[in-house]
Amino acid sequence: MIKYWKYILIAIILLLGVLFPFYAGAYQQSIARTVLIYLVLAISWDMLLRSGQLSFGMAGLFGIGSYASVLLLLRLGASPMLSILGAGLVAFVVAALLGILVLRLRAMYFAITTLAIGEIFRIIIRNWSSFTGGPEGAILPNIIFDGDPVLSYWLVLGLALLAIVLSVIFQKTRIYFALTAIRNNEVVAKSSGINIFKYLVIVFAITSALQGMAGGVFAQTYGFVTPESSFSADYILLPIAMALLGGIYGTLGPIIGTVLLGVLAEYLKLYIPYGHLIVYGIIIICIIMFMPQGIVGVVRSKIIRREVG
Amino acid sequence: MSKLVVKSLTRRFGGLVAVDNLDFELGNGEIVGIIGPNGAGKTTLINLISGICMPTSGSILFDDKDITLTPAHIRSRMGIGRTFQLIHPLENLSLIENIMTGFLFSQGENKKKARLRAEDLCALMNLTDTGREISQLNILEMKKMEIAHALATGPSILFLDEVMAGLNSDETKEIIKIAKKIASSHNMAIGVVEHVMGVIKELTERVIVLDSGKLIAKGVYEEVSKDPKVITAYLGGAA
Ligand SMILES: Nc1ncnc2c1ncn2[C@@H]1O[C@H](COP(=O)(O)OP(=O)(O)OP(=O)(O)O)[C@@H](O)[C@H]1O
Ligand SMILES: [Mg+2]
Repeated sequence: MIKYWKYILIAIILLLGVLFPFYAGAYQQSIARTVLIYLVLAISWDMLLRSGQLSFGMAGLFGIGSYASVLLLLRLGASPMLSILGAGLVAFVVAALLGILVLRLRAMYFAITTLAIGEIFRIIIRNWSSFTGGPEGAILPNIIFDGDPVLSYWLVLGLALLAIVLSVIFQKTRIYFALTAIRNNEVVAKSSGINIFKYLVIVFAITSALQGMAGGVFAQTYGFVTPESSFSADYILLPIAMALLGGIYGTLGPIIGTVLLGVLAEYLKLYIPYGHLIVYGIIIICIIMFMPQGIVGVVRSKIIRREVG
Repeated sequence: MSKLVVKSLTRRFGGLVAVDNLDFELGNGEIVGIIGPNGAGKTTLINLISGICMPTSGSILFDDKDITLTPAHIRSRMGIGRTFQLIHPLENLSLIENIMTGFLFSQGENKKKARLRAEDLCALMNLTDTGREISQLNILEMKKMEIAHALATGPSILFLDEVMAGLNSDETKEIIKIAKKIASSHNMAIGVVEHVMGVIKELTERVIVLDSGKLIAKGVYEEVSKDPKVITAYLGGAA
């Protein structure tokens, strides 16, 4: 019976999400697009975190994806849709190669290396002006769907749904067992027959592909890339703050956190245009200190306490 | 033919030689006790055989194949199972899910089949209410889960590293009964590390004695326990 209601609720939310452009204004739609992009980053970050691997690579992979899609279109004449898939593929390959090199190290080394990906690609892009447009960035002649807001929104929503579906698959299949075991104890995981390295490389590559596609979608809907905006630290701090706020290690937490903080972020940007990153930093610290399980965790433990008590 | 052959196996940790030029064999379906004072190298030997730790020199053959450099997860799939002296349950998985991991990854079962087989194993071990969180288990249940987790990987040789430690005598008897049941029904070779000599006498056909990483005696327990070298090793360990 509870299951039944759950599916009805999901169907209603899905319908409201799909029909959003028909009852919301242009400003709300642009906020929704941004929130959905962050949703992809927050969920994909969490999907890798479920294996115990902390990544700071979201900005790097987002930037790589942004540039890959713009350059595929400008230099190779790919269609916008194809260039977004290409962005995912480029991010997948970059992450797989990097993963093969550094995922044996894990922990701190992995986290720091992921932070470096963005910096390395940003420096290359800034300096290789003839191909990338250099510090000024590059502009697309046309934005995707000729700027049709409804189609653009659906494109972003489609990517967010892909991330959600993948995240649910990660939770419902053997991947869940593998990632949780690796996070809890690698020695026990190995002794259970789990090929830790294989799982980590594949999950890092898949989540990076999502982040690359998010960059591609963003670049195609806004029509430009620059080294500073495409690799912005916003894409690291915000998704982490969102996932932590909602609750990590699951699909629902990052969704709730992204919607709450994503809407809040828009106001923060309006009122404190230069200091908003500090606010996310403070939010991250506060959640880690006072509410490490996030909103979903707090609600869940309240329910369990009621059932027991 | 021996199931497992360990040849001149050595493992150093810096200046310390934890396992020192050790030769050891385990036959099909036989139960062997591995004893020795604290720090003798028993756990390290199990770590080397299961691939958790790599030897400094020497080799390990399993079913006549050289597995000295084989990664741990492959050894688990090949049929080398083990429990851990310090139990580290996967705390974010439930009791049944902990056991399922072995079926899923070592034996390549699908989720449904893994759950069914894990439930069967729990029934065999007398583990009830299998959906429980790990934090709700008592020590006996933890030890049973540890054994079930190792069995779920489908081992043809199994190492039990002090599974009786911390249990009272009734609980110990229950685990011994389970171990005997497993050994006879699966024709599994078992290596038992235990400090309680009653358990070793009851369960094993022969023993090997380690001291400072070296094999100092082997044979049936009654004879080995009278060996002066063994007596000194234990007294030395206690002093
Ligand atoms: N990872 C490690 N790093 C450094 N030294 C180690 C390591 N593992 C074991 N040792 C050392 O190797 C020696 C053998 O340890 P081991 O745990 O194998 O002994 P044991 O026979 O299992 O002892 P116990 O009966 O206390 O469990 C000890 O001196 C121990 O301190
Ligand atoms: Mg030990």
